[in-house]
Amino acid sequence: MKKLFALLLVVTLMATLFVGVGSAEGEFDWKAYAGTKIQVMFNQHNYQKAITDYGKLEAFQELTGIEVEYSVTPEENYFDKLSVALSSKGGDPDIFMTGAYQVWDYASAGYMEPLDEYITDPDYNFADFYPGVAGTLAWDCIPGHAVGSGHQWALPMGYELNDIAYNKKYFDENNIAVPKTTGELLELSKSLKGWHGGENDYGIAVRGTRNWATIHPGYMSLFATWGAKDFEVEDGKLVCKLDSPEAIAMTDYWVKLIVEGSSPQWATFTWYEAGANFGAGVAAILYDATCNAYFQSYPADASAEAGNFGWIPGVVPDDSGLTENDIKSNVWVWSMGMNANSDNKGAAWLFLKYFTGPEFMLFSGTEGACADSPRASVAESEEYKAIVGQQFNYLESLDALLPNATIQFTPQPYFFETTTEWAATLQDLVQAYRDTGSCDTEGAMKALKAKLDIAVEDLVCE
Amino acid sequence: MIQNNSTNNGGTAPTDLNVAPLSRRIRPYLIVAPALLITIGILIPFGMAIYFSMTGYTFRNPDPTFLGFKDFAFLKNWIRMFQDAQFWNAVWVTLRYAFWSTIIELLLGLGIAMLLGNTDNRFSRILRVALIFPLMVAPVIGTLIWQLMLRSGVGIIDKFLNTLGIYGMQWGASSKTAMLTVVMIDVWVNCPFVIILVLAGIQSLPKSPFESAKIDGGSAWFNFKTLTLPMLKPTILIALLFRLMAALQEFGIIFALTKGGPGDTLMSLSVTAYTRAFLYQKFSGALPFILVLWFIVNTVAKRIVTAWRKSQYQATGKELEEVAKKEGLIKRLVKGGKAK
Amino acid sequence: MTAQKRLYSILKNAGLAIYAIFALFPLLWMVLLTFKSDAEMLTTTFVFHPTLVNYEEVLLKTDYFRYIKDSIIVAGGAVIISVLAGVPAAYALARYNFKKKEDIAFQILSFKFAPEILVVLPLYMIYDKLGLYDTYFGLIWVYQLISMPLIIWVVRGYFEDISVEIEHAAQVDGYSWWQIFFKILVPLIRPGLVASALLCFIFAWNSFTFPLLLAGIKIEPITVAATKYLAQNTVHYGQMAVAATFSALPSIIFAICIQKHLVRGLSFGAVKG
Repeated sequence: MKKLFALLLVVTLMATLFVGVGSAEGEFDWKAYAGTKIQVMFNQHNYQKAITDYGKLEAFQELTGIEVEYSVTPEENYFDKLSVALSSKGGDPDIFMTGAYQVWDYASAGYMEPLDEYITDPDYNFADFYPGVAGTLAWDCIPGHAVGSGHQWALPMGYELNDIAYNKKYFDENNIAVPKTTGELLELSKSLKGWHGGENDYGIAVRGTRNWATIHPGYMSLFATWGAKDFEVEDGKLVCKLDSPEAIAMTDYWVKLIVEGSSPQWATFTWYEAGANFGAGVAAILYDATCNAYFQSYPADASAEAGNFGWIPGVVPDDSGLTENDIKSNVWVWSMGMNANSDNKGAAWLFLKYFTGPEFMLFSGTEGACADSPRASVAESEEYKAIVGQQFNYLESLDALLPNATIQFTPQPYFFETTTEWAATLQDLVQAYRDTGSCDTEGAMKALKAKLDIAVEDLVCE
Repeated sequence: MIQNNSTNNGGTAPTDLNVAPLSRRIRPYLIVAPALLITIGILIPFGMAIYFSMTGYTFRNPDPTFLGFKDFAFLKNWIRMFQDAQFWNAVWVTLRYAFWSTIIELLLGLGIAMLLGNTDNRFSRILRVALIFPLMVAPVIGTLIWQLMLRSGVGIIDKFLNTLGIYGMQWGASSKTAMLTVVMIDVWVNCPFVIILVLAGIQSLPKSPFESAKIDGGSAWFNFKTLTLPMLKPTILIALLFRLMAALQEFGIIFALTKGGPGDTLMSLSVTAYTRAFLYQKFSGALPFILVLWFIVNTVAKRIVTAWRKSQYQATGKELEEVAKKEGLIKRLVKGGKAK
Repeated sequence: MTAQKRLYSILKNAGLAIYAIFALFPLLWMVLLTFKSDAEMLTTTFVFHPTLVNYEEVLLKTDYFRYIKDSIIVAGGAVIISVLAGVPAAYALARYNFKKKEDIAFQILSFKFAPEILVVLPLYMIYDKLGLYDTYFGLIWVYQLISMPLIIWVVRGYFEDISVEIEHAAQVDGYSWWQIFFKILVPLIRPGLVASALLCFIFAWNSFTFPLLLAGIKIEPITVAATKYLAQNTVHYGQMAVAATFSALPSIIFAICIQKHLVRGLSFGAVKG
């Protein structure tokens, strides 16, 4: 992997050089669409802030003469709003933020513009993106087929892996070893109840709302490490595999981990609540997106425990014979796509080119506080490493995970329905286990499988 | 009063409005028209909703042809819904939520308004204004504040319970207490509305019956039961109408607190329809849920409005016959007045 | 008797005090949070280092006042339209007797009870076609569902309670209908009109689903914008509290200004002494 990075770095440097020469000759006409107006929908995020809050948007408008109107919506409501806007086919917004899972829905329904032609632009240096990251946004629109082939539907702004962050200061002071297996993680999380001197302090924070966001970070990463699958294609149909022995065993473990080692209010925890508990020293461990714990640690006044954290890639199931190198991580990629019904595709491309281009991304990855840059030229740069590398074992954990990091879900357009119902089942199991000390995981997962088989029954995988 | 006048005006021959000139007959409609036209826009979306509920309209299939019979689903979405266990759960959740929040708001609002109405000191005068402040906070934001107050280890309420030795309250995170929690927040947000309605009702009560009751020396409870309550009936019915209709449809508070979880504990009709339409993007499958809700709301509302009109006449001491007479009188007055 | 009375009075005030704590403490706590920094948010209760950093972030570094302006325009505009169209309608529904009168009155009221989720999706498509998406007018129009029925029903009650012979007498005195309406009737219905208008303003101001899905680029009312302050890269309860506190201020100021009307005015034409 390191070699690949180095290679990419060289390619990038050469490309940057080339870009410099190119623009010096004035070949590229940024003014080609001066006077047009485009609309952009952002999900509220650091990636959006880097574009809108540091004068870069004004610089773009000046450079191109394109007028940009935009909206910023919190994640809670963002996709609802975007879906309504796209389904009217009115052409607005021209550009929108999206994730890979949404591409399965939006692209296969015909709302997204394929970007393959645009990204051949030599200035853009598409090859600079980590293939594993940019590849999650390419898909052939056939349910059940893996990402990575087919049209490129969107371009990454940043990516997130999922790993385990822990309160290193406390662990060091009390000679606690970091867990290596699921059994160790469970025992440790249990024993950490009240660790910080308060009755409410607990071991591990994870998300738990009735929402797809509960499934995709820590849960899905361990689910994949365990060897379980969500769907498989059989006879041209998607068949839910949530009733497999691995899926049941892993879910059973996760339910125990939550009831015995997590907050009693788990079922209402979003990413920011899990993160805030970790940052405040209420939770000792956080299994979530890499950048969630990072934002609690940087800058130094971000939280009460900022600067006290360490990271590990994850844990492996007991007696599975797996090692740290087998740990899998699910990937989330914030990206931008173009509306297929847009009337201003030329201008919209200039926006994409500028704001996912190498020059802007170096800015966003460093001063713009967007950790986990998808461009190798940025992630390998000294400026970037000087800032992000301060966090103990942060970059090392990422490096360890990258070879096995991909989207662990089976691509299909009903992703939100299947994962939300999945989260509801998880909540039911946790409730039952908390109330009675046992739960029928097998029965619940079988019922869930039956429900999800019906949900995806009209999809044809060919 | 009215009766007296009607005899005084008896000289004017009663004429039916229906034989008045056309311009006069349509005048009331013309006056109502702007208001109707402005709000009638709603009927278009409503019609579209019924139409779409019979098609295969989804995010992936936004151009269903219905009359062209391409994606004609007719009652398929409806039949599916009635076979869906989540639908019956949603109806049950909706009714329970509406029942508890409305009944608590009415009883509490009535009680607090009676206390405020019977007290006249600086404390109560300040409270009359201050108690309606929760109404000024948008329900979605109010819910976020409550969620923070209930947060384990962080929230002020949880910390208070901790000092009493109570730890690990789950509130919205447990299927046992989730309903209680959302109802509590609903009461916080909406009880002030009931309080001001009832306060207004109390202030407009006639004084004389209470004065004579004072002389008779009946107990406060007796007076409340036999005088205040019957005379407040129209006010209470109006409060019931507005609160029950809103509670049946409540979406913001539930969604902001738990998104309908844990499990399906709080998946009311509104939340289910929203989730299916906007998150799952199966619009046509979600529309029957919301149309059933609309049907429930409309039917219940109509009954309460009828009861309210009736109670209003009774409370004013007018019998329905007299009301009819009064309306006849108005016809004549309007006609007679304008004729000059 | 006096002891009993005193006990009764104590109980009464205690009951009020308990409810007052329930109703007002969350608001006080919200105001308290506005002075807390993120780092102290989860670790302190009442003793902390007060700071104005949240105010600075919200009021100075964002478009906060633009959101407030949008809210005032759409909520205020909605109320004005409802008053202009609603008061005459209320008069007609109270005074005239015509076919389908009660049906029309109920139909108007039932708009208030139309589920927002049912309305919003078809309405988006219509708005998109008509160019009303993300416009002041579009939001003002859809807010009529919130404000019009309430105004009509409260004011109608007032008109019904004004005895007809007042109008009749004025007519005899040679006043024109318009003069009667503005000089005699409007002052009489004012308490109801003011109170219901304020209530409509509050409900329109607090509306969330409509502005979320029918606007958001050029126009963004404060209720939708306020949720943005909650979580960025990490959670900002303090900033959210500032946004929430300031968003409630206009309504609270109005309510204090017209407190007498507010309580008197909402009697829905029940019994008048």
